[in-house]
Amino acid sequence: MLQNFRQSMAWVHTWFGLALGFVLVVVFFFGSLSVFDREIDRWAIPASRFEPQPMPSFDKLMRPIFEDMQPLPDARAFTAPLVNGPLPDHFDKVKSWGAYTTHRDPVLTMFAGYEVPNAKDPETMIFAQRTVDPRTGAALPDDRLKVGSGFFYPLHYSLTFYWKNVGYWIVGFAALMMLVALVTGVVMHRKIFRELFTFRPRKTTQRSMLDLHNLTGVVALPFHFFFAFTGLVIFAGIYFPIGHTQLVALHDQHEIHEALETGLPHDPAGVPAKMASVDAMVKEAQRRWAEKGMAGDVGFLQVQHVGDANGYVSIYRAGTDRIALTGEGIHFKASTGVVMREDPPPTAVGRINEFLTGLHLQHFRHWLLRWLYVLGGLLGCACIATGFLFFVEKRKRQHAKQGSSGARVVDALGVTTLTGMMIAALGMLIANRLLPDVMPDGWPLRGDMEKYCFWGTWVMAMAHAFWRTAPVAEGRIAPAWREQCLAIAVLGVAAPVLNWVTTGDHLLRTIGNGYWPVAGADLFMLTGAALALLAARKLQLRAESKITVNTPAMEAGHA
Amino acid sequence: MATASISRSDIVSRTLAAVFGGYAFTWGLIAFGMAAMVAADMEFHDAEHLTAIIGFLVFLTIFLTAFAARNIVRVWLVLVGGAVVMASAAELIKNLIT
Repeated sequence: MLQNFRQSMAWVHTWFGLALGFVLVVVFFFGSLSVFDREIDRWAIPASRFEPQPMPSFDKLMRPIFEDMQPLPDARAFTAPLVNGPLPDHFDKVKSWGAYTTHRDPVLTMFAGYEVPNAKDPETMIFAQRTVDPRTGAALPDDRLKVGSGFFYPLHYSLTFYWKNVGYWIVGFAALMMLVALVTGVVMHRKIFRELFTFRPRKTTQRSMLDLHNLTGVVALPFHFFFAFTGLVIFAGIYFPIGHTQLVALHDQHEIHEALETGLPHDPAGVPAKMASVDAMVKEAQRRWAEKGMAGDVGFLQVQHVGDANGYVSIYRAGTDRIALTGEGIHFKASTGVVMREDPPPTAVGRINEFLTGLHLQHFRHWLLRWLYVLGGLLGCACIATGFLFFVEKRKRQHAKQGSSGARVVDALGVTTLTGMMIAALGMLIANRLLPDVMPDGWPLRGDMEKYCFWGTWVMAMAHAFWRTAPVAEGRIAPAWREQCLAIAVLGVAAPVLNWVTTGDHLLRTIGNGYWPVAGADLFMLTGAALALLAARKLQLRAESKITVNTPAMEAGHA
Repeated sequence: MATASISRSDIVSRTLAAVFGGYAFTWGLIAFGMAAMVAADMEFHDAEHLTAIIGFLVFLTIFLTAFAARNIVRVWLVLVGGAVVMASAAELIKNLIT
């Protein structure tokens, strides 16, 4: 496009990196937090602060809960437009029951899918969900939001913008642009190895920002490429839904063929049947895993065609010590408990796919790697942030001269998506500690209120960012950065203090008890607060020194 | 940076080629790859995964090529032509084996 290849790639890097960087930084930040999503859940739901539990007894504990479950109002509201006529008060035709747990889950999430009578598309299902204490079967209130796995995590891959999957598409395009930015970034800088050791903080802001941009980009280059790429692979079915559109005939043919080959019925028989003991099936599955030298816990348990003669129970081994989320599936006839099929080892392609997606999702046990993921994600944020700052530093004086507000707008959006995003996350956690246990009548549910607090805080931070970046238009540093850093410092201390006040779990107690999910969340916020304070101080010093240094020069210029 | 030499229509054309042309071409490639692999007796979901993995890397390459190529018209021709040919081939294979 331009005179030469390198210049064209630099153009793509600058403009696509800038436009999608605002999305990418959000994806990287909430991805980093999602590495500890379940630990954030413990912080946000004090009733769930106990040790992780294995999958409980199906016959005694889970089955009565499953039988009692019904879709919640939000699922009903979602399904209502997909049906001719009104929704039934009670959904009786259960298609499947399921429960998934990992080595980090104290509470168990159970889900049930039901046939929807009179649905416009007969394949439509409606889902019910419940989270229980697996020791007692007691349900957590349905309005309790799992802030980590139920909000920060979906924010990471969908921006929680579900209408027509638009959020997924924005994040997917941003991920592709991350790959583009990495390749073009490498093309722009021939001396890749040298970038690893180059940081000159005492040079101009513009130069040191570029050093830091290159350093953070190069040092975690394989990490960034891998995560952006595997993120796309995980949702390939959304981005290229070919098996459900153009080639749906092949997909359907495969399903029928597979049902014949595996003997696992694709459809219910329409004949009611009783269910044998699932606990006995679990025992048999575990015996078979142990026999293969891979004794383990149940990660995923599913019952298909519940109450039907074609019903079957699938039991999968938790991937605590594997990259794949679950594996070694064994399927039993629900009515008799006879083994119908043991899954064969995955194919080569299946293994590649499990490796790519499993390493991204990381449900296995490896705490060091878990922390390296956080570090890699935050390096990504730093890389994108320094990219914004370099863009602004490079142009702000020129824009000031031309009277253009381009640099200011970029700076304001940078403040919004970096410090503003952190303020929003902290604001949500603080709201989580301050909102009443049960919202009064007429108010939204507690979990919804927490989400509104998140978005509300973010909008306020954005307003502040646009207001307090005015000096950029005159070629100076925006006070918005320093002020929002101070806000992070205050909120980052307030959240752990509120956790202490409202639950009694202060750091001495959580660390003393070795209860790291909550201690870790508190320490992470306190560390963030300390770093934010440090950054605010540095910015303050720099702003003051700029004034004393620049004033005489300005006056001389005027003279 | 010497941005003065880029015309607005060139940017628009290349961006559209990179995003939509690239998407259409990748769709065609994945559809063709899936149909061909299934026809060659590969398991359906394996074919789906493998072609997606390859597809995203191809999309990335196309995206960059759309900005690097000297002649954008040729890029358009290859992308649209390739998309149509491969998607039609996928259709043909599908009809043959179902």
